[in-house]
Amino acid sequence: MSDGSEGTGGLTFDKSKRSWPNELNVLGALILIIIIFEVLGAIFMQQSLLFDTRDRFDSIFNEARLRIIIIQVAIIGIIALGVTQVIITAGIDLSSGSVVGATAMIAMSFAQVAEVNGAMNPKAIFGPSFLDLPVVIPIIVGLTVGTLAGAINGLLVAYARIPPFIATLGMMLFARGVAQWWSLGNPVSFPTESYAKIGAGMMPVIIFLSLAVLFHFIMNYTVYGKHTYAIGSNEAAARMSGINVPRHLMLVYMIAGGLAGLAAVILTSKNLTAQSGMGLSYELEAIAMAVIGGVSLFGGRGSIIGTVIGALIIGVITSGFTFLRLGAFYQEMVLGCIIVGAVALDQWQQQRAASRS
Amino acid sequence: MKKILMAAGLTTLMMGTTAMAELQIGVSVARFDDNGLTVMRNGMTAFDDASDEVSLQMEDATDDVAKQLDQINNFIASGVDAIIVNAVDTNATEAMSNAAATAGVPLVYVNRQPINMATLPEGQAFVASNEIESGTLAAFQMCRQLRAEGKAGGARAYVLVGQLSNQAAVQRTKDFHDVIGMDMCNFITIIDEQTANWSRDEANDLMTNWLSSGDEFDAVFGNNDEMALGAIQAMKASGISMDDVVVGGVDATSDALLAMSVGDMDVTVFQDLAGQGAGSIETAMALVNGEAVDKAVFIPFKLVTPENLADFQ
Repeated sequence: MSDGSEGTGGLTFDKSKRSWPNELNVLGALILIIIIFEVLGAIFMQQSLLFDTRDRFDSIFNEARLRIIIIQVAIIGIIALGVTQVIITAGIDLSSGSVVGATAMIAMSFAQVAEVNGAMNPKAIFGPSFLDLPVVIPIIVGLTVGTLAGAINGLLVAYARIPPFIATLGMMLFARGVAQWWSLGNPVSFPTESYAKIGAGMMPVIIFLSLAVLFHFIMNYTVYGKHTYAIGSNEAAARMSGINVPRHLMLVYMIAGGLAGLAAVILTSKNLTAQSGMGLSYELEAIAMAVIGGVSLFGGRGSIIGTVIGALIIGVITSGFTFLRLGAFYQEMVLGCIIVGAVALDQWQQQRAASRS
Repeated sequence: MKKILMAAGLTTLMMGTTAMAELQIGVSVARFDDNGLTVMRNGMTAFDDASDEVSLQMEDATDDVAKQLDQINNFIASGVDAIIVNAVDTNATEAMSNAAATAGVPLVYVNRQPINMATLPEGQAFVASNEIESGTLAAFQMCRQLRAEGKAGGARAYVLVGQLSNQAAVQRTKDFHDVIGMDMCNFITIIDEQTANWSRDEANDLMTNWLSSGDEFDAVFGNNDEMALGAIQAMKASGISMDDVVVGGVDATSDALLAMSVGDMDVTVFQDLAGQGAGSIETAMALVNGEAVDKAVFIPFKLVTPENLADFQ
């Protein structure tokens, strides 16, 4: 119990032994980062990141900035919710981004509007009978494609016993190929108006937060959640206690795939286009959100709340860079340092907590 | 028995000769998922389907310089008749030229101008556009339009840069800087320039971030149409009228032309990519057959504004 070297999964289970929940650490990191940006902003820009120093809004906050901070991470955040569950089972999902790309192309093909500016839609993939379909059809197609990809991942990992890294790597390559093959690399644009409403305005955020609440409930208060943590902490023990591990893993990967499909639907709706290159590197950003939020890559540790805060941290950093007008070439370097720093801080806290018990 | 063998022999011979008459050309494209390059690729595939003299093998270099050189070496090893290269990085073409020249395989560069164009070996040529034109045409037109709108007292612009590792992004941004450095256009100042990696979604989020700071601006220049369209979406979502902002991009994609026809976008630049693709195949065929070819064929960029929009739709 006091060996804090790898995956303090046991420690997480026994809440009485921890001084405070891990999520507070991540929240503390978020507040610290905001303070740093505020200070730098006051010094270099004479402006505030979050507060309305120019009196453009009714409230004391810069509402436009608060909105963009969360909108820009909402779509990848949805993917991160699924990836969090996968990583908690000690697995990994590298295919999310490519599944987004493939789903984007396929779902958008069913959301085509018939008339563009008075003329026939020049980009229609299928024939005239597939235009102006009710919006529920592309949504179902999107969710199905994503879940199907997740199911294939699950089959490979749970039943064929292929390491998750390899299985999802294969799916990553395969799905990207599907995305490019679907329309031979051509983009698909011009969706119907009802489809465009899905990703418009604050919808991505509403969907993201609703799903976060749902999965928080599921992970903490249902048997599914308990089994997920159990499999991640000690798969052999979980199997011994009667959990159907292969079937559960299938479910976890299918949910991750389905969420990637949903993210694709929202992404294409927001941008009114589907491009075969969409979703590039989304899986890494989603994993980064989860890891910053306290998910352990060894499994058994992590939470949905942590992932949401992790997503907010990335959102604040992205907006903060633009706010400070940090040179484009420096942003990637600084982001890399911050991600490693945040995780190192969290690891150190965990070691300290474990050695104290 | 003898008759059957003779018939079989003759058929194989005939099949052999028809196969030999079709030229095998290996094509390495910088990336398959780029809109503009897809138009070029489609033009080449159409040529391939229509012609029985040529057979194309397309490979995706996925924006990887090293991978592209490997693909060319693979083509040489499989004994293709000619190679067409759409360079990932035009600074890296010398190694590719050397590999092809050593093996004696004709090589044609398409769409992107190779850095060694003055010293191309025998049996090599290029059919390309000059990337300096694209950014300059767009930037200059934006400058003229801002003047016409009476903003010669001072105008502020945002620049959406493509992928930082991409030569087209670097060149087009530099073109914009060069144009506003000229006397006629130095009333324009750049508030900020950041990368949106050619993506509509990233440009949308980036523009929204810029808008949240509340700075006044008059123009937005995107290194490509996709990013310009993303910026337009963000501005419209914030209630900014497109009549107040001059927006420019490069590529003249069909989505961009539609945006221009409804008055959202003001400037874009067209490349005849399908023409470049077909031209490169014809040049390759000529090189294989030992005919005389022009080593350098420049296909000019064309400025697209609402005035001449109809020509491009």
